[in-house]
Amino acid sequence: MQTTTITRMTAAGAPPKLSRFARWADRNFKWLLVAPAVLLILALSIYPLLFSLVVSFINYDFQVPGHAFVGLKNFSRVIFDPVARWSLFLTAWLSAVSVAIEFVLGLLVALTMVRSFPGRGVIMSILIVPLFISPVIVGQAWTLLLQRPFGPTNYILTQLLGQEVTIGWMTESPWLYFSLIIADVWQWTPFMFVILLAGLTAIPPNLYEAAELDGVSAWQAFWAITVPHLGPMIMLALTFRLLDAIRMFDTIFIMTGGGPGTQTYTASYYLYTVGFTQFHLSQATAGSWLFLIFTAFVVTLLVRRLLKTEPV
Amino acid sequence: MAAVAPARRRKRRSIPFGRILLLGFFLIFVLWPLYWMFNTSIKPSDDYLTVPPVWFPSAPTLVHYKAALFTYRGLDGLINSLIISLSATVLSALLGTLMAYSLARYNTGGQHLSFWVLSQRFLPPIGIVLPVFLIYRQVGLYDTHVGLIIAYTVFTLPVSVWMMFAYFRGMPKSMEEAALVDGCTRWEAFWRVAVPLAAPGIVAAAVFAFIACWTEFFFALILTSRTAFTLPTVFRAFIGFQGAQYGEAAALAIVSLVPSIALGVLAQRHLVRGLTLGAVRG
Repeated sequence: MQTTTITRMTAAGAPPKLSRFARWADRNFKWLLVAPAVLLILALSIYPLLFSLVVSFINYDFQVPGHAFVGLKNFSRVIFDPVARWSLFLTAWLSAVSVAIEFVLGLLVALTMVRSFPGRGVIMSILIVPLFISPVIVGQAWTLLLQRPFGPTNYILTQLLGQEVTIGWMTESPWLYFSLIIADVWQWTPFMFVILLAGLTAIPPNLYEAAELDGVSAWQAFWAITVPHLGPMIMLALTFRLLDAIRMFDTIFIMTGGGPGTQTYTASYYLYTVGFTQFHLSQATAGSWLFLIFTAFVVTLLVRRLLKTEPV
Repeated sequence: MAAVAPARRRKRRSIPFGRILLLGFFLIFVLWPLYWMFNTSIKPSDDYLTVPPVWFPSAPTLVHYKAALFTYRGLDGLINSLIISLSATVLSALLGTLMAYSLARYNTGGQHLSFWVLSQRFLPPIGIVLPVFLIYRQVGLYDTHVGLIIAYTVFTLPVSVWMMFAYFRGMPKSMEEAALVDGCTRWEAFWRVAVPLAAPGIVAAAVFAFIACWTEFFFALILTSRTAFTLPTVFRAFIGFQGAQYGEAAALAIVSLVPSIALGVLAQRHLVRGLTLGAVRG
């Protein structure tokens, strides 16, 4: 890669007549530029993380007074809480299924949009709209569609199937998982679609022309040309999406409120309830550290693979 | 060659039914919830307690908009959202540009610093927001505009930095070097030469930062209460009610999604860079 960094050497010459401060500022220019952002991140991200590590080992609870050191009690409480384990399992399961559906659907739609056709620009603008909507509103929109008894979904299904459908989409297992997944799929399939489309349009078209001349079928061309060229993009899209999917909170907050019972608790939702409705704050911070470690594990696993297949 | 060309032309002219069907299905899938929300927002209250549902309201009304904005304090949320999102956007774009320039042109801190910033993007918010909540309560930033502005600035910084980092990397450095040779300070080379050239990239980064703040819910839910609450948190008022508030919820949703969709569609040329933090050029 061609270097883009600047050095005074290549540029020669020193600035004329500067005050001592200005000379100092010029010398330390690169550090002064990063300082505000780095300090802010340190203050509001690293310091809170360290603070929460401390809180994890003491008693910090709005229901139990005092801040005594309690060792690993906060951690063990989370680890031995069956709801915590269920929420972690559900987080993994929900995000895996959602991301898989989003990937397949996004790829299919991207494949239909590779070649230009009349109206492609308008359709493109419509398809990306869900990306700019708050997940809260997405949850609200699907609540309106799925609610019982007056939502249109059950009515349409009744008409289509010719028999009365009265599914409680947000109260009955397994339908509530379907509802949460469809809201996520609605919002984030465009993400997959946009990235995969960028990858598809970057494949040189003459490869397909050559394949066609050699009499290769479209299906074979897909596996021999599209998939290998798209590989790095697929990894990137899956990584980014998965890392966001495991935070799933907003749609659950709006659509099911974690319920019925604790059936739709994801990791984020579980920690939120422990911290902010039960006020076991130190237990929640301990749990969030465990979740952080779990996420870091997933990140290193995925990002390491991503860096191996550098897309640009 | 001659034998292949006509065959290909014929192939291209045939109508790809499968594709049209798939694309049509997906378009309906995307538009249907939006239409239904709009439809619900203008229906008179009687219309949404019927079977079959009312597909097209015969007497559209704006009462739900009025109720959502005034009775449910949606207008206050809207104003708070504007103040907080705009301030955080400006700060994030400014600080992000400063840092990105240093990373791109001076390779500050090597790969470690840039990846450290990137890693912030993937921290689960729950890990940050709990201790921030405790700290904010101690220092008096809980439920203040300033508190949420700072939080949003930090939370959008990784995206701003990485988008601008990629943008500066894609810009030739010769102009800035020429400025340095002509006796400019490094700051002047940055501020008078590089920043004007990078203006389109800065605007794009700012748009995505704004959308991220505008649609954010989790931080706002925990760090604000009755004063600095943002628009997405107003939706809490509509949870769990059976039917009565659907119109208000839908109206508020429509009000809230118009600005971010408009901005997003306008900036769609930069969308791929925005979504991948500059890793992929759209």
